[in-house]
Amino acid sequence: MTGHALRIIIMPPFDKEFFGTDRLSLAAVNLFDLIGKLDALAPGFAAIAQPRVHLAVDGVLETDWTRPLADASEVIVLPRVGGG
Amino acid sequence: MNKIHVNCAVNGDATEFLCDPGATLLDVLRDTLGLTGSKEGCGSGDCGACTVVLDGEMVCSCLVLAPEAEGRSVATIEGVAEGSVLHPVQQKFLEHAALQCGFCTPGFIVAAKNLLDRNPDPTETEVRYWLAGNLCRCTGYDKIVRAVLAAAAELRQERTPACTRPRQ
Amino acid sequence: MHAPETMKPFRHIGTRPVRPDGVDKVTGKALYGPDFKAPGMLWGAILRSPHPHARIVSIDTREAERLAGVKAVATGRDFPTLESLVMHVGEGASDIVDVAHNCLALDKVLYEGHAVAAVAATSPEIARDALALIEVEYDVLPFVLGLEEALAQDAPLLHDNMFTKGVKPRPDKPSNASMRVEMGAGDIEAGLAGAAVTVEGRYTMEPVHQGYIEPHACVASWNGDGQAQIWCSSQGHFSVRSLTASVLAIPQSDIRVMPLEIGGGFGGKTTIYLEPVAMILSRKSGRPVRLAMSREEVFRASGPAPGAIIDVRIGADADGRLVAADVEFKYHSGAYPAVDAGAGVSSAIGHYRIANTRVVGTEVLCNRPAAKAYRAPGAPQVNFAVESALDELAARLGMDPLELRLKNAAKPGDPQTSGLPWGKIGWIECLEAAKAHPHWSSPLGPNQGRGIAGGYWGNYGGPSTVNLSVAEDGTFTVATGSPDIGGSRASMAIMAAEVLDVPYEQVRCVVADTASIGVSMVTGGSRTTFATGMATVEAAGEVRHLLCQRAARIWGASPEQVQWRSGEVVCLSGDKQGETMSVADIASRSFHSGGPIAAVSALSARGWLPGFGFHICDVEVDPETGHVAVVRYTAIQDVGRAIHADYVEGQIQGGVAQGIGWALNETYIYNEEGRLDNPGFLDYRMPVASDMPMIEAVMVEVPNPDHPFGVKGVGEVPIVPPLAAVANAIKAATGKRLNSLPMSPERVYAALHPEG
Repeated sequence: MTGHALRIIIMPPFDKEFFGTDRLSLAAVNLFDLIGKLDALAPGFAAIAQPRVHLAVDGVLETDWTRPLADASEVIVLPRVGGG
Repeated sequence: MNKIHVNCAVNGDATEFLCDPGATLLDVLRDTLGLTGSKEGCGSGDCGACTVVLDGEMVCSCLVLAPEAEGRSVATIEGVAEGSVLHPVQQKFLEHAALQCGFCTPGFIVAAKNLLDRNPDPTETEVRYWLAGNLCRCTGYDKIVRAVLAAAAELRQERTPACTRPRQ
Repeated sequence: MHAPETMKPFRHIGTRPVRPDGVDKVTGKALYGPDFKAPGMLWGAILRSPHPHARIVSIDTREAERLAGVKAVATGRDFPTLESLVMHVGEGASDIVDVAHNCLALDKVLYEGHAVAAVAATSPEIARDALALIEVEYDVLPFVLGLEEALAQDAPLLHDNMFTKGVKPRPDKPSNASMRVEMGAGDIEAGLAGAAVTVEGRYTMEPVHQGYIEPHACVASWNGDGQAQIWCSSQGHFSVRSLTASVLAIPQSDIRVMPLEIGGGFGGKTTIYLEPVAMILSRKSGRPVRLAMSREEVFRASGPAPGAIIDVRIGADADGRLVAADVEFKYHSGAYPAVDAGAGVSSAIGHYRIANTRVVGTEVLCNRPAAKAYRAPGAPQVNFAVESALDELAARLGMDPLELRLKNAAKPGDPQTSGLPWGKIGWIECLEAAKAHPHWSSPLGPNQGRGIAGGYWGNYGGPSTVNLSVAEDGTFTVATGSPDIGGSRASMAIMAAEVLDVPYEQVRCVVADTASIGVSMVTGGSRTTFATGMATVEAAGEVRHLLCQRAARIWGASPEQVQWRSGEVVCLSGDKQGETMSVADIASRSFHSGGPIAAVSALSARGWLPGFGFHICDVEVDPETGHVAVVRYTAIQDVGRAIHADYVEGQIQGGVAQGIGWALNETYIYNEEGRLDNPGFLDYRMPVASDMPMIEAVMVEVPNPDHPFGVKGVGEVPIVPPLAAVANAIKAATGKRLNSLPMSPERVYAALHPEG
């Protein structure tokens, strides 16, 4: 899969836990594709993504990770907050 | 250990059961007689979820030994409604949304009915202190207290002979 | 009470009908977790560790197995060996290996009360007697309970493979810090240096318990063919299924979980403790097995909310504009990693616009039960510190504390701590409503003081499934996978009846078991009315569409010729113009017009919005005893739109009461041996009716544009502000700032009489 380059902002703790940086530039067609590419950079990330990660596309939290990213510019990777 | 044979009345019905000497009334109600409306929240008399009325006195049934029920009258949540007709305390609990999870509700209703049987016109403070042995974790008590006060008002209305009631 | 009265074009939304499950619950008929019995059922019991930290050298169960009436004994060795796998637990995440070892310890016990072995017998008495016959040899290890003690270099380690996550470079040796999360913006030191006024303080508290009145209980029946049924109460029976199946390494479809009524959860019933153990005992004995916790077991072994140490520095310019906030906290995780640090970081200061921020949270393992979610998990602790500090700041500035908050309050579009912009939040509206509320300007009596605090919670959406079916007589059944803890059946019936424009009583709602409805996430995180509600609305819309289609076909009309109007179908043109067909008319002919009519909505709800609350609290402090009475309380909250107004108020009132208990009374007390000294309701003192005033819940409605009826989650927000609201009221009444919870009579008395 291809796609255009997105600005990826990695929030704590994932920046230090997995990537050693909080800024990446990656091309991805959708969020599953992006997770796969992040996992290639930091093996193990995909395994914890569903239970631990929220993804926001251009400022809006997105639960549908199949959403095409053709017109998106920024994805934020942030920790899920679990409620009671 | 030999079982003890106990005769008593539960919600007006003659009832007999066998129990271990150390069994609580709550154990017998729930496990032997199948009356699971009385709940066990603590087993130490601190939460009131197991409240029943024993010969007119409100008690935590987890603190009463089952053999102590011999010859006595036990009233539980299952006997509060008359058939399918709810007692005003039950009705007001529903109308005021005085329950969320509902687990403490049987104990509250038995306790509140016992209060209103004694005192038809309690103040808010009297209601709060009477119910202080019943724990509710969901409601913050606001709607429970309102429901009991509303039930008291309705019972007073019902108990007033129709001819002396003010015209609506 | 409704704050700004919105135009309500609704027939049902916002009304207060009696809940459909109400009669069962006021007559004692409703079956809760501990009420269920299966034929031939055995009674289980669990042996728990007396030590806060020890290596299990050996467990000898032979004597117990020989006792007459004992049918099965289980230890951690009966679980399959599991690979590490991070899974959804409630709305958080845990490693399934930790979940399993928390159900039955394997090599080490990590807290007093940790389950070590279990038996099933023909009576509860025999089961208890059998526990006494199990011989466990422990190699007792040093333990640690305190946050700073657990972080010390020489602290006893709970897990020797624990390397702090969120730290770069990865630590070269293990520690009890399981996670560190840091977020922020700007330059914190420069911001503080440039401030005209700064305050700083340390705030602390011990863990508290969720305090649901129903202890955990389940019955499991696992047959030789691998298929099983579990009857239990929980916040999510699908979670019970997925976690139990994972712990036992069996297919989820082999387990059918029947949801019993739940007697309170508040986050504490989003995980499992008993179910896999009951399953093992059932498989071994060939009979259904009940396991139930006593209250003491609930306190010793089920999840409390973390205790905390929170250090805060906040600075403002001379006009009262916040310029910097530095918040660093440590939360107890207990025996296993929890997930509250991220929540604490995102819930700390995001309700204000502050250019320079730094928020750091560390989760700390210690020899206490594994912390679990408790209503807005992670938020009340840090909010207590921040909103207390803001009160101090207002005093230094000589500024009204409400004006300080209003001046700095975040608006839609402002950045949260994570950098994401706030959506359509109603925070300013809450503050304005507070200012206008008569409580704010009412006079106070002697020894009384007024405190305020604001807070928020992010809320959630996520997966829910709803099946809405039409009976042959034209009545409706909504089946959801979401346990009803506080009236959600009523809310679903209201929303479906609103869409269908039929009487409320024409729609009944049930909670279906895991084999009868699709997957649904837990009832928690204030998501059910939002997400399951969204699925209900979608399913009702689809059923309405199907009914229109069906009527058109019966009339021989085209779909465009008919319309849904007032709960029936109207023919707009053609031969049948002006005729109507009721749902009953359509449903009674459904078998001969295409089959039964039903719709399933299975969705992952998005577009949730956070909730904001602002509380006003009046206390009266007895100078003789230090006793604090809350005499008046008003809780104002943006609820999006109230579906069932009574149960929205109820959520607010209940959250406030829990917050007041946390503020004034509740705390875990451990002794020098590392054992819990107050594992009962007598000594763990939750608020009772005589402790509380009426709690006025003011519902502000700033509808969520991304929900069909504007819903925002309401359940969690109200526990966030009370801790600081009470502390600020005590400060106003006495001039004394209490930084440690609970603000018990002895602490208040000591503050009032520092000479001793």
